[in-house]
Amino acid sequence: MNDLFTIFIVMALVNNIVLAKFLGLCPFFGVSKKLSNAVSMGMAVTLVMLLASVATSVIYNYILVPFNVEFMEIVLYILVIASLVQIVELIIKRTNITLYNSLGIFLPLITTNCAVLGVTLINSSGDYTILQSIVSALGGGIGFTLVLIIMSGIREKLDVAETPPAMKGLPIAFITAALLALAFLGFNGLM
Amino acid sequence: MLERLKSKRFYPIVFLALIVLVSVSLLLYIDTFTSEVVEAQNKAKIQAVLESIFPELTDFEEDGDLFVIYEGDNITGYTFLASGNGYSGIISMLVGINTDYTIKDVAILSQTETPGLGSKITEKEFTGQFVGLTLDDIVLSGDGGSIDSITGATISSRAVTETIREKMAGIIEMLSE
Amino acid sequence: MEEETQEKNFKASQGKGSIFWKELVKGLVISNPVFILTLGLCPVLAVTNSIDNALGMGAGVIFVLLCSNIIISAIRKAIPPLVRIPVFIVVIATFVTILSLIFEAYLPPLHESLGIYLSLIVVNCIILGRAEVFASKNNVLYSIADAIGIGLGFTIALIMIALFREILGTGGLAVFGFKLFSIPILSEHPMTFFISPPGAFLVIGLLMALFRWIGVIKGE
Repeated sequence: MNDLFTIFIVMALVNNIVLAKFLGLCPFFGVSKKLSNAVSMGMAVTLVMLLASVATSVIYNYILVPFNVEFMEIVLYILVIASLVQIVELIIKRTNITLYNSLGIFLPLITTNCAVLGVTLINSSGDYTILQSIVSALGGGIGFTLVLIIMSGIREKLDVAETPPAMKGLPIAFITAALLALAFLGFNGLM
Repeated sequence: MLERLKSKRFYPIVFLALIVLVSVSLLLYIDTFTSEVVEAQNKAKIQAVLESIFPELTDFEEDGDLFVIYEGDNITGYTFLASGNGYSGIISMLVGINTDYTIKDVAILSQTETPGLGSKITEKEFTGQFVGLTLDDIVLSGDGGSIDSITGATISSRAVTETIREKMAGIIEMLSE
Repeated sequence: MEEETQEKNFKASQGKGSIFWKELVKGLVISNPVFILTLGLCPVLAVTNSIDNALGMGAGVIFVLLCSNIIISAIRKAIPPLVRIPVFIVVIATFVTILSLIFEAYLPPLHESLGIYLSLIVVNCIILGRAEVFASKNNVLYSIADAIGIGLGFTIALIMIALFREILGTGGLAVFGFKLFSIPILSEHPMTFFISPPGAFLVIGLLMALFRWIGVIKGE
């Protein structure tokens, strides 16, 4: 599974980072019913994922492996991601204040989002080159956005449906996710 | 005194830098002795697997990913390390081949596939299918060959099959020179 | 500020011993990180597919939580507020790396089956959350109690979920190679659905609903 197209499809669909790898669950369950918010969130995460994957892949291939210091991975990657999120936040604040306001608290929370760190770790555990990492991040981000959009659409219907009181809120969202994950299992057939 | 120090402008950066320095040193220290343990374990594991594939082996020579297996003074076979991306992570394996380039046995060294599904690639039911095959036979039954994939774990099965075939082709070419 | 001093006075009047236990129990039930605070969910779904993974992850989280709570609490007076989050992150990341190195050397099968989720402990909101909310504001002794309580609460939740998934999904229970038991018909035809990703979501969703129904959590 080393060719770029397969990596993309696997990250986005077959091994969807939310429904199969359980990454990025907080924004997934916290997503609003507004489609535009879901898309903005997805795009923001994809952007950070892409930048982080490039940066960490460079660090991995040119520093960690040659100098045999792979154990520095966790500390370095998380610092890189935290810094990137700060920078992206600043840029968004300067260029598009409405977007900045609508994303609110979620932007800095991308730092502790398992999705971004998760994808960078998937890249290094698969020993990906920089190009493979880019494709992997694109696949991951787009898969994440896709699932977010689907969930936001369902969320709207869920809110007006008659749910038993114990199920209201997170429990029913989890059951919905279970059904989505089941559906996505069908993508295994792509391979 | 701490308050006075804290009020200096450079304090936050210096403090953070200090913490990072302590962290790096600590990790470096711990890594030096854990990596020795890991290295020793890997060597022992490879040796054990080599002996299970070729029970009659008396000695072996290592040349990158290739191990030349000796029984006394004669070369009785070869074994090579192969690794490829499976469903969720890298699968690494040792493949033993006879001097006529047919497969002696396949042993999965490490994998992180789905437990109960993809992880079945480690079982004899799957790996046993490779025994005796020549390079051209190493194809999944879905693609016209003789290797049946594990139900519900096509990606893992395919990953193992193709990794073995590709690496084996390269090894045979290298040995034929 | 007044609330803080009130709380401090209250605690001072309670005596150190009983406060220790209160903080510990808090993490187990009232503030159970998984079912109530729903923090740090990513690893929960991933590692509950087997009891071994659940125990390993639980132990790992307790280790990191304990160490980081202790260190952060010990240096809390010296941490400049401006860089406190990066400092917390570096401290936590260091202990997660140490955990990973130790597992790699001394518990290789666990290291292999936990995979990236071991490293992902560093972004587990629970640990960063405790550092910010508790350890940076309380002394070392109480921070230890907090860590143990929350850590145990997390581990127990993991074990509960893993029990369901492994028993239904493989028809039996095996802990680190020791087969505990095997249910006759189920073990020949296990419901592998439960150890697959959708099964994870389903079990946790149902357990959450159950907790609410029993009344442990106040519903919405």
